[in-house]
Amino acid sequence: MAARPEARLGKWLVSGLPLLYLIAFFAIPALIMVLASFRTPGEFGGLSPLVENGKIDLNLESYSRFFTDSIYAQIFAKSVWYALLTTFFCLLLAYPLAALVAKSGKKHRDLLLLLVILPFWSNFLIRVYAWMIILGPNAALARSVNGLLSWFGHEPVPLLFSSFAVLVCLVYVHLPFMVLPLYANLEKHDQALLDAAQDLGANGWQRFWRITFPLSLPGVYAGAALVFIPALGIFAIPDILGGPEDSLIGNVIKQQFLETRDWPFGSVLSIVLTVAALALAGLAAWVARGNLGTPSSGGDTRA
Amino acid sequence: MRRRPVALWTAAFAGYAFLYIPLVIVVVYSFNDSRLNAEWVGFTFGWYDKLFHNEEMLTAAGNSLLIALVASAVSTLLGTMAGVAMYRYRAKLLSILVLTPIAIPEILMGVSLLIFFVMLNFTLGLVSVALAHIAFCIGFVAIVVRARLAGMDESLTEAARDCGATPFQAFMHVTLPLIMPGVIAGALMAFTLSIDDFVITFFTAGAGTVTLPLQIYSMIKIAVTPEVNAVSTLLMLLTLALIVIASHLTPSLLRSD
Amino acid sequence: MKRLVLLLALPLFSFAVNAKDQLHLYNWNNYIAPETVKRFEDACKCEVVQTYYSDNEELLAKLAAGAKGYDILVPTSNAMQSLIKGGQLKPIDKTQLPNLKNIDPAYLKTPFDPDNKYSVPYAMSLTVIGYNDQKIKELGLPTDTWAVVFDPQHLQKLKGRITVLDSSSELFAAALKYLGYSANDLDEAHWKQAAAVIKKAKPYWAAFNASSYIKELTVGNIWLVHGYSNDFFQANLDAQAAGRPFHILHGLPKEGAVLAVDNMVIHKDAPRPDLAHKFMNFMLEGKNSAELTNLIGSGNPNKDALKYIKPEILKNPAIFPDKAMLSKLEQLKDLTAAQRRVRNRMWTEIKAGR
Repeated sequence: MAARPEARLGKWLVSGLPLLYLIAFFAIPALIMVLASFRTPGEFGGLSPLVENGKIDLNLESYSRFFTDSIYAQIFAKSVWYALLTTFFCLLLAYPLAALVAKSGKKHRDLLLLLVILPFWSNFLIRVYAWMIILGPNAALARSVNGLLSWFGHEPVPLLFSSFAVLVCLVYVHLPFMVLPLYANLEKHDQALLDAAQDLGANGWQRFWRITFPLSLPGVYAGAALVFIPALGIFAIPDILGGPEDSLIGNVIKQQFLETRDWPFGSVLSIVLTVAALALAGLAAWVARGNLGTPSSGGDTRA
Repeated sequence: MRRRPVALWTAAFAGYAFLYIPLVIVVVYSFNDSRLNAEWVGFTFGWYDKLFHNEEMLTAAGNSLLIALVASAVSTLLGTMAGVAMYRYRAKLLSILVLTPIAIPEILMGVSLLIFFVMLNFTLGLVSVALAHIAFCIGFVAIVVRARLAGMDESLTEAARDCGATPFQAFMHVTLPLIMPGVIAGALMAFTLSIDDFVITFFTAGAGTVTLPLQIYSMIKIAVTPEVNAVSTLLMLLTLALIVIASHLTPSLLRSD
Repeated sequence: MKRLVLLLALPLFSFAVNAKDQLHLYNWNNYIAPETVKRFEDACKCEVVQTYYSDNEELLAKLAAGAKGYDILVPTSNAMQSLIKGGQLKPIDKTQLPNLKNIDPAYLKTPFDPDNKYSVPYAMSLTVIGYNDQKIKELGLPTDTWAVVFDPQHLQKLKGRITVLDSSSELFAAALKYLGYSANDLDEAHWKQAAAVIKKAKPYWAAFNASSYIKELTVGNIWLVHGYSNDFFQANLDAQAAGRPFHILHGLPKEGAVLAVDNMVIHKDAPRPDLAHKFMNFMLEGKNSAELTNLIGSGNPNKDALKYIKPEILKNPAIFPDKAMLSKLEQLKDLTAAQRRVRNRMWTEIKAGR
C-alpha cells in the first residue's frame, strides 16, 4: 500500500478506533481485576484496601493457593474436555447447515441464515427449560431411550441432570457461533472449482475433503474459537440441568465472586482460564499453519 | 451442473430440526395454562393478555431491544475495522485486546466494569450496559470479518488502487462488498449476544434499569411463567420483522453481490 | 402494531418520568404483592421503581463493587450482617416508623442487628423438606428427619428422584443439624464430618439445584426436595391447579432447620431516605404485610398482620412454626473470610466429585 498521508491516516483510524474503545472499556477495567488478584479479599466481600497503614498490600497468596491445590487443575481439565466435545459436535452439526445456506440461491440464502439464528433471539433460560422438558424422565425421548436400554437389560439412565444434558445444551447454545463464521467463509467458495473437480472424476466426498474443507479452514478455526473459548467459562447450564458431578471451572469462578466473596482468588482463576484459553487458541492456529502449509494470510497469529 | 446432494440436505435438515424442536416447545408452551410451565396442562391466551398489561416486562423487553440494536451497530462498525486492521496491518495488540474479552469469564468482566464505572462516577443505566455490551461484542465481529478476509483476493483491491481510488474508496467499493457476509454474520452474532446477556448486564445496570434477561433471571427461583415464553416469542418475531423490513429498505447495502 | 411501537418507545418514556418522586426498591422478584406497591404509590404520590436480584450474594457483590442508586434493600439476616459490618447501610430513624410496634418482639433485637439500628424484619421462610405425598407414602419414607436426605438406607429408594439446594451454607447447615450440631457450628472437624455425610449421600441425588427444583417437584419427576417453605406452598397450589393426583407437603425435620428472615434496610447512599422510611412504615402495617404472606406463603413477623392472613396459611407449621419447632430453628450467621475459604474448598471438593 502506498504510504500516502491519507493511507496512513486511514490505517491509524481503522486500527486506532477499536483499539481505543477496547483499552477504555476493556483493558483498563480488566487491569483493575488483574491487580485485584494480588490483593487480599475484603472481610465482608470485595477487596481489602490497597494501602494499609501506609504500606501497599499486595501478595501472591491467591496464586500460590491455586498452584498448590490440584483440584482446580482437575476441574479445569474437565472443563476443557467439555469445551472440546462441544466444539466438535457443533462443527459436525453446523457444517451442513452453513453449507446449505452458503450454497443456496440469493432468494433463499438470507432467509435460511435468519432461520438459523432466529431461535437464539428467544431468551437463553427459556431455551434451557425447553430442553428440560425434552429430556425429562416422562417425555418421549427418555422413555424411548430407556425402553431400548431395558431391552438389553440395562438400568434406566437419566437424561436430565446429567453430563449428557449439559453437553446437549452446550452444543445447542453455541451452535450459531459455529454456523455464522463457517457460512461467511463457505459463501465465497467458487462453485467452478468443485465443478472442475467433478469433471475430473472426483466424487462427492473427495470434493468435500480435498477442496471445500481445506478452503473453509479459516472459517472452521474462527467458529471453533468462538465456541471453545466461551464454552470454557460457562456456568449457567451446569447449574440448571447438570448432575451433582457436573460442576465446571465457570461454576467455581462464579462461587468465588458470589458465595465465598473471595475476589482475588476469583481473579486468579479467571486469569488462568483466560490465559489458557488464549494459549490453546494460539496453539491450534500454529499447528494449523504448520500442518497445512497454506500461507495463511496476514495477522493469523490467533485462530 | 448443480446437483442437490441428498446427504447435505438430510444433514442440514437434521440441524434445523435440532435448532427448532426446543423453539417449538418455547412457543407452544407460551399458551400453556400452567404457572410453572413444566408440563403441558391446557391451552390459554391468558399469558399474552397478562404480558400486555405488564409494563415492567414490556419496558424490559424494549430496553433489551434498544441496547441490542445500538450495541450491535457500534460493535459491528468497530469490529469490522478491527478485523480489517488485524488482517491487513497485523495489529498484534489489537488482536489480543479483541480476543481476550471472549475468553475472560463474564463475571470478572462485569465486576471490573462496575468498579471502573463507579471509579469514574459514571451513572449506571442503559448507557453503561450498552458500553459494556459493545466491549465484548467487538471480538466476535472482528474474528468473523478476519476469517472472511483470509484468502480473499487482494488483487482486486490493488487494481482499484492502481485505477486511482483512495484507500477509503477502495474499501467502500471493493473490500466492503466482498466481506459483507462476514460483516452481517458478525452483526447477527453481536445482536444475539447482546439481547441475551445476563451476567455483565447485571453488574453494569443502574438502579432502575431492567433488561429482559435481568427480569427473567430474577424469576428463576420462583417461577419462570409462560408469560416469559410469550415475551420471548414476541421479541423474536419483532426482531425478525425489523430485520426483514431493514433488508427491504436497504437492499444494495446488505446484498453481498 | 401499536403495542409494538409502544414496546420500542417505552424506554424513551422512562427518561421523561424521572421528574416524579421515585423510590428505588432492590428486592427479590415476587417478594411484594403488586397491589401493595400500587397502594403505596397512591399513598405517597410517588413511583416505586423495582429492580431484582435472585440471590443475596448477587446483591452483596454488586454493592461491594460500589453500585448505588438504591433506597431499600431486602437482604436475609446473614447478608445484612455483612452489609452492616461493611458500613453499607444507613441507620433508620425510628421516629418515622410508628408501626414498628407491630413486629413480634421475638424477631427484634437479633444478634445480627441489636437495637434494630439498621433493619426492620420483613418476611421469613424455613429451609425444610418438600415432598410428593403420594410417592413418599408408597415408598414408606419418613419426612420428619434429615435422614431421608442423607441416609443411604432411605436414599436407595429415592435414587435420582431427590434434589438438594445448590448452596454450601444451606446444605452444610442441614448436614450439621443431621449430625446433631448447630447449623452455625464453626468447628472444622465438624465441617469435615458434614462434608463426608454429603459425599456419601451425593450419588443418590439427582442434582444440586436452587432454581428448577420446584418445577420438577410439581410435575412429579422429582419426589423429595431440600428447599424453601414458601416454594413448597406455591408448588402445592400449582399442583392442585394442574389437577395432579398428589400434594406437595412440607416435612419439618425433628433435628431442626434453618430460618431465613429477610429485612428491609436502607442503603447508605440512598437518594430518597424519606420515601424509604415511608415505605418501611407502610409495610409495617398489618394489612400490607399480610398481602405477601397470602400471595406466596412466606412467614410473617408482624403480629398485626396475623388477623389478615388466610387461616389455612396460619395453620401451616412450616410457615408459622409452633414454639417447639421455633426453638430448633436457627438463622444462619455470616462467616469470616478465612472460614468462607475453608468452606468453599470443601464445597469445591464435593462438587468436583473427589
